[in-house]
Amino acid sequence: MTSRTTETVEPGEIVLWDARHDSHDRIATRTFGFWLYMLSDAMIFAALFTVYAILGHNYAGGPTAAQILHPGRALIETLVVFTSVLAFGLGMSALKHGNRSAVLNWIAVAFVLGVAFVGLEIQAFAHLANHGIVPQRSAFLSAFYTIVLTHGLHMVFGLLWMAVMAVQVLRDGFTDNVVYRLLNLRIFWHFQAVIWVCVFVFIYL
Amino acid sequence: MLVNLHGPWSPLVGRLALPQIPYDNPLVVGAFFFSLAIAVALAVGVTSAGRWGYLWREWLTTVDHKKIGVMYILVGMVMLFRGFIDAVMIRTQQVMAVGAHSAGHLGALHGYMPPFHFDQVYSAHGAIMIFFAATPILVGLMNIVVPLQIGARDMAYPYLNAVGLWLTVAAAALVMLSLFVGDFSHAGWIGLTPLTELPYSPGVGVDYWLWSVQISSLGTTLGAINLIATIIKMRAPGMRWSRLPIFSWTSLSANIIAVTTFPVLTAALLLLTLDRYLGTHFFTAGMGGNLMLYTNLFWVWGHPEVYFLVLPAFGALSEIIPTFSGKPLFGYATMVLASFGIAGISWTTWLHHFFTMGAGPSINTFFSLATMTVGIFTGVKVFNWAFTMYRGRLRFDTPMLWAMAAVFLLLPGGLTGLMVAMVPADYQVHNSVFLVAHFHNMIAVIAFAALGAISYWFPKVFGFKLDEPLGKRVFWYWVAGSLMVFVPMYLLGFMGMTRRLDYVSHPSWLPLLVLEEVGIGLYCIAAYYQVKQLYVSVRDRHVNRVGADAWGMARSMEWMTHSPVPFYNFAVTPRVHARDEWAWRREQGLTSLHPDGFQDIHMPKNTAVPLILGGLSCALGFGLVWRIWWLSAVSLAAIMGTVIARAFEKDTDYVISAVELERLDAGHAASSPEPQTVGIVAGGGLASRQAPSSRHPGD
Amino acid sequence: MNNSAQNALHHPEVQMARAPGYVAGFLIASVLMVIAFVYGTRNGLPTTERDTVLAVIAIVAMTIQSFLLFHLTLSKTQRWHTVAFVLTIPLFALLVGLSMWMFHALALRTMIPGLH
Repeated sequence: MTSRTTETVEPGEIVLWDARHDSHDRIATRTFGFWLYMLSDAMIFAALFTVYAILGHNYAGGPTAAQILHPGRALIETLVVFTSVLAFGLGMSALKHGNRSAVLNWIAVAFVLGVAFVGLEIQAFAHLANHGIVPQRSAFLSAFYTIVLTHGLHMVFGLLWMAVMAVQVLRDGFTDNVVYRLLNLRIFWHFQAVIWVCVFVFIYL
Repeated sequence: MLVNLHGPWSPLVGRLALPQIPYDNPLVVGAFFFSLAIAVALAVGVTSAGRWGYLWREWLTTVDHKKIGVMYILVGMVMLFRGFIDAVMIRTQQVMAVGAHSAGHLGALHGYMPPFHFDQVYSAHGAIMIFFAATPILVGLMNIVVPLQIGARDMAYPYLNAVGLWLTVAAAALVMLSLFVGDFSHAGWIGLTPLTELPYSPGVGVDYWLWSVQISSLGTTLGAINLIATIIKMRAPGMRWSRLPIFSWTSLSANIIAVTTFPVLTAALLLLTLDRYLGTHFFTAGMGGNLMLYTNLFWVWGHPEVYFLVLPAFGALSEIIPTFSGKPLFGYATMVLASFGIAGISWTTWLHHFFTMGAGPSINTFFSLATMTVGIFTGVKVFNWAFTMYRGRLRFDTPMLWAMAAVFLLLPGGLTGLMVAMVPADYQVHNSVFLVAHFHNMIAVIAFAALGAISYWFPKVFGFKLDEPLGKRVFWYWVAGSLMVFVPMYLLGFMGMTRRLDYVSHPSWLPLLVLEEVGIGLYCIAAYYQVKQLYVSVRDRHVNRVGADAWGMARSMEWMTHSPVPFYNFAVTPRVHARDEWAWRREQGLTSLHPDGFQDIHMPKNTAVPLILGGLSCALGFGLVWRIWWLSAVSLAAIMGTVIARAFEKDTDYVISAVELERLDAGHAASSPEPQTVGIVAGGGLASRQAPSSRHPGD
Repeated sequence: MNNSAQNALHHPEVQMARAPGYVAGFLIASVLMVIAFVYGTRNGLPTTERDTVLAVIAIVAMTIQSFLLFHLTLSKTQRWHTVAFVLTIPLFALLVGLSMWMFHALALRTMIPGLH
């Protein structure tokens, strides 16, 4: 370890100061930090899944999971969110060539599908609420509403972010800042699909 | 409203009402006027010195990691003092309220605080000390030291760094507000359910606790992301992992803990918030709620949290001890492995905080064994420190005293920890003050290490040493106070005294409680000398000026900068050739700090956005606590709008030309006291040649 | 200041986007979800076997997504992303797993009716 840890140097050839080394890779630094944030977000979901695992059968005499959950509808939501994620991915593929209109078009498609997903969820929850199936009814319902709506809230933030990015792309083109934000948004949006897999399989099925 | 709220509510001011201001409580009124006096004195002082512009430019809008670190430590020290006052109040109540015939004052049956107030005092004490004293001080230290140790110009995300600071300040402000408007939580710093649910805590106290902890935890998580990214991505050329300074290693492991566990706390608090605000049933007593689930989630965060606090403290010890022993750290590789071992295992130990809650022997045994494993890694560290000191050229400056005392304190603290890690032993002492003594013992290790670190790195940041004789006096009073408070507490724990007692029914415990009161008095004297030390040190700063290597025998790269450190840290990024780079260069005779060529560098501009976000977060927290929905909505919208607006800001950096950089660096070198104290740069401290925030230098 | 569009677009993280990979990820994950749906709705009652099968399908889907969507490889660009991810997974599993184990044991011991 010592010979690798400490360099042996010729006195005349030591480089003490590295003047050329000023710019760190801004983009890589920022996507890495965002990835760390994403992992911390995953831990929030881990806690919420734990809560669902423990409270998921506490119906308190109210409606049960089998009674209110519709896996078929959830499958449709799954395909919608997956398609949205795919659209955004294709937009990022177009980014490689700097194709501004293609990127914007794909973001628009992803946006519309994302809105559709959120719309389907709102519709489902409104339907439940109208029948008095509210989170205050039982621990199961509290856990169910919270975990699904937390995911939904993430989707809403992602959509807002997409809108902001569309404006930035139009205004600035593909600068450093715009590019790293698009990369982060890609990570964020793809992540929604991964979490949804867990939600679909462990909650709806 | 979806929940049954106790008391009035109006759309304009929510639950705020005049009776919520405790104008009839002399203690609170006294505290208010004391705080007001200090605030007014500060405002008058700053105004008469004409320094509002300086304050705004150099401190409130800065993104410089060193200044942010200093502000973190400042906030931490202020809140440490507030938490300390709470401790004095607890001690005094317990020594006064012993036995059925003890007198009652100020509306209390015994002692001077009725139970409801006493509960708020110990809850505030715990919450403040953990979230607002220990965490900011350690985060501040990591903020200052880590970029310097790895040869970086700043953290990976300077703007985010400032946001984290101001979120912490906002949360601390919320806690301080709770003293004067409304109550604080009466349910302990942990917030166990169902006590914290609405039926048992109908007031705003628990909400204050929820939102202040939530907001500051968000700041800490952002800071953790920042530090990890900095250490992984921003190291100077040649700094391989095997050359990374040990403090940076422990910072990395500590922040890996933070980024993975703070989200669990966020979730736990969020669910309790939903219970209190929307009437859900996560932790309620009924309707399917599970009380133990909160305890489980809280401690999943709570145990790694203490390792998040202790690892940077250990890192500081690992820096101080080699420096003042004149030897490299013994067993660097095992130290690094032990740090990560601690971080990893800490994720499997949380249930030891509630062995008695009925999980059963197999579960308890698993967590007990995991807990005891941590002792192995910690033991490795203690032996390595001892072997570092062995046959070294020891110097007993103040930092070394703090460090040695910390290691000594680690022995009883760790051993009592191992005692309670054994389930049958824990069943005897759970919820007694034996446990309180154990964890305060460990906190003393952290506090001693932190105070040692502050006196160690102070000369680097400010360019002058703290007064040594007074520093030693502070140290000895802290030692005396710690012994006098906590040794009797261990004994009282064995005698059966439980925690959180506002009334002590066993008169036989009185002598030990009196000893504890003497102990807290010794702490008060230490606090006095601490303030005096700061005053004398600032007054005598020209006498105590130091150069780059303030202690003369430092080893790592932060000592290769001028003291105080210029805002750009290193004019030219150093190239790293060895572990303990500065010690290596000293041995090779390469001690010049003057680079041979300069290049243009980019620095981030100051910005008021983090400060604004902090202010808005405080408003949001306040609105949510008092259920002032319009204020909450407006604050939240403003926060989102500010964040988005900042994203459209393109002018966030500026360039310092090579010529200007050379000039600045020569100025710093000239003001080094190696020859004599000539040309002290105007402004003192860190402010020397801060480039202006809104224009390029030379405009 | 590297603000020119050219430099940013040449960054390895931009260039690593692969349209075929995204399409494949989409198709595989969708198919797996349909399989899970069919299997789950066929065998209605929750049993250990059913839960295990569903969990395996989910894990396979997520692993493929990690590879195809997140490009989690050991390449120089992505190495640290992968390391961070791999270190987080056990913590996720520990949190959920140890908690479930504890509450299961607790339920057996306290014998509260209806507590699973």
